[in-house]
Amino acid sequence: MSVEQNGVSRRTLIKGAALGGIGIAGGATVLSSCGSKASGPMSFGARTVDESPTKQLKGLVAAYEKKSGNKVTYNATESNAFQNNLSQYLQGTPDDAFQWMAGFRMQFFAEQGLLEDISDVWKDLEGQYDNSYKIASTGLDGKQYFVPQSWYPWGLHYRKSMVKELGLDPENIATFDDMIKMFDAMKKKGLVGFAAGDKGGWEAMGTFDIINARLNGYQFHVDLLAGREKWTDQRVIDVFKQWELLLPYTNKNVLDLEWDGAMQLLLQKKAGSTLMGSWFGGNFKEKSQEDYDDLWIVPFPEINPEHGVDTIDAPIDGFCVAANGANTAVGKDFIKFAGDKEGMQAMLDTGVPMTSANKNQDTSTYDAFQKQQLNVMSQAKYITQFLDRDTRPDFAGPVVGPAIQSWYKNPKDVNKIVDSLQAQWEALPAL
Amino acid sequence: MNSTADNKTKTQVTRRRAFSPQDRLTLGAFIGIPTALHVLLVWIPAISTILLSFTYWTGIHLDDIRWAGLANYHNIFFSTPVFWDALKNNVVWLLWFGLIATPLGVLLAYQIDRQIRGHAFFQTAYYIPVVLSLAVTGIIWNFMLRPDGFINGILGRDITNPISFFGDDRWNLYVILTMASWRHIGYIMLLYLAGLKAVDPALREAAALDGATEWETFKKIILPTMRPVNIIVLVITMIESLRAFDIVYIIYGTSGAQVPILGTLVFQNISGEGQSMKGAAYATILFILSIGPIIAYLRQSFKEDVK
Repeated sequence: MSVEQNGVSRRTLIKGAALGGIGIAGGATVLSSCGSKASGPMSFGARTVDESPTKQLKGLVAAYEKKSGNKVTYNATESNAFQNNLSQYLQGTPDDAFQWMAGFRMQFFAEQGLLEDISDVWKDLEGQYDNSYKIASTGLDGKQYFVPQSWYPWGLHYRKSMVKELGLDPENIATFDDMIKMFDAMKKKGLVGFAAGDKGGWEAMGTFDIINARLNGYQFHVDLLAGREKWTDQRVIDVFKQWELLLPYTNKNVLDLEWDGAMQLLLQKKAGSTLMGSWFGGNFKEKSQEDYDDLWIVPFPEINPEHGVDTIDAPIDGFCVAANGANTAVGKDFIKFAGDKEGMQAMLDTGVPMTSANKNQDTSTYDAFQKQQLNVMSQAKYITQFLDRDTRPDFAGPVVGPAIQSWYKNPKDVNKIVDSLQAQWEALPAL
Repeated sequence: MNSTADNKTKTQVTRRRAFSPQDRLTLGAFIGIPTALHVLLVWIPAISTILLSFTYWTGIHLDDIRWAGLANYHNIFFSTPVFWDALKNNVVWLLWFGLIATPLGVLLAYQIDRQIRGHAFFQTAYYIPVVLSLAVTGIIWNFMLRPDGFINGILGRDITNPISFFGDDRWNLYVILTMASWRHIGYIMLLYLAGLKAVDPALREAAALDGATEWETFKKIILPTMRPVNIIVLVITMIESLRAFDIVYIIYGTSGAQVPILGTLVFQNISGEGQSMKGAAYATILFILSIGPIIAYLRQSFKEDVK
């Protein structure tokens, strides 16, 4: 999160004047939507077509319609397509409120004047969130553009029944070496120890994040992603060397599987563990309650005692209001409801597992897996979003993603890969 | 001399007279409307893309455009190794299409033209993939070859141990090429078949009477008479190889370092929030590579019209 703060000084310096212009454009819409009584129909854009999250969002929409009497049209787009078209979508006739992510990915659009300033919504939600969430929802101009919905920790996921059968105890593995020993035991049983998929190019970024944070610490990780450290640094090469130690326990078809492929390996008991965000609890539940109850998460173990397990990737998903929406006032009213304890409860009541970002949430209804997510989260001192939300979007997607895929193809090329990463970082235009 | 000159002026005069104001209006509309649309929808975007490739821009606010000079190109040529991989893959694509897929299409066309038994069936079978869009082709093949797909299923391999058709670097390019050829072969076959139907059967008969073998007839008689079609087929092969995109995108999405090609690099850099004019620079490079074959193609088709 300090990436963003740092970004402020750098950007304001370069772009101060230009910002003013965008500010005016954004300001006009703010004025027009100042009416306190928000009513009329609105539309909501969901960034998913999957079964569980759709159920959850429809629960939210229904609860809002009931409370406000405003009609909400629900539009769903497949998540990759949504991301690829977001820029055009927001410039055209977007839905009033839509689902998006915190960090750089929100700030980029806020900076372009495509998101509605919702600072007034935050005034009402103030007491319900920890400050870290507010920071993650804040644009480079210090205004808020985002309301958090949920978060999920990235950690080592496994099935309790499987490790019990093998006589293993991942909860008590302290170090990387212990983890390797555990993988060895799994491998002997013919299992994939550390399932991975990176067909989409983003999945493995989580592995990079966590190894870098464990090995070199939070500060180095954040500095690297903000461009204050170099990718050619020996410490980055060490991350890939450390990662290489996991490859003998990884499935061979990493570049042929997407995240859900890696999840399937765990679900079908072909793999002992996988490093991923806990969002897929819903997929386990879709299969059966038994599978869901079997799922567990622990933090990725320590590599460097200096840093312990002090950092975790915990991306925040949430909602924004489009500046070009037809009914931004109702859009704001909607995301205020979504961010409020009441709206969160409506989503939780659908029975789809989710960890609410709202600190007043009644967690007594959380199941064991959700409580364990809170537990994993509380062990971390520093929270990062995820590589593609913690660095520039024109670097993460087109440069880092393919670079990690090339590394999977040939881990021996690590020097060439970091050289190219650094060269491409330097070739980026100043923001 | 005099009379020819007179004749010339006469024809010119009559020709001019042949166009009544109404004719002119009609002709003007026939030429003018498509030209205006073409300029608006093709040339303006194309030229804008070329100009934008020399700038930095996020693609949102016009006043954010900043001059970059050759920086995007420098970045591509010297800092982006994946560009060279992509170029190599496009060249392999071109060679594969040129040496394997297209000749196969020609061979099939020739066979079908010779009316071998069941030729109507073969013709339909080979042509069916052409009716499908490349996106649909990609989806069909994805069902067949993905880790939990049909082929791995009948081989009894589960997702821990599948044949990694799309993931394994040793053959994934050739898997993609096979998929693309599945459609390309039928396309070339149809084009060539149309050409073959137009060949005067008397030529073949004469060759047969002179005792030429089938191969000699094809090489010395058919191929030369088919010259215009040959050029069109060649140019289409080149263009298809360079503009390849759909199948790779369907299988790998935007990231696709598995099989990088120029088309996906363009898309990767201009889609989403990571929008940058590096994508425009890739598009310009692709444009320059394709323009040669396109010019050749246009010249060939115009020459025929004149004839």
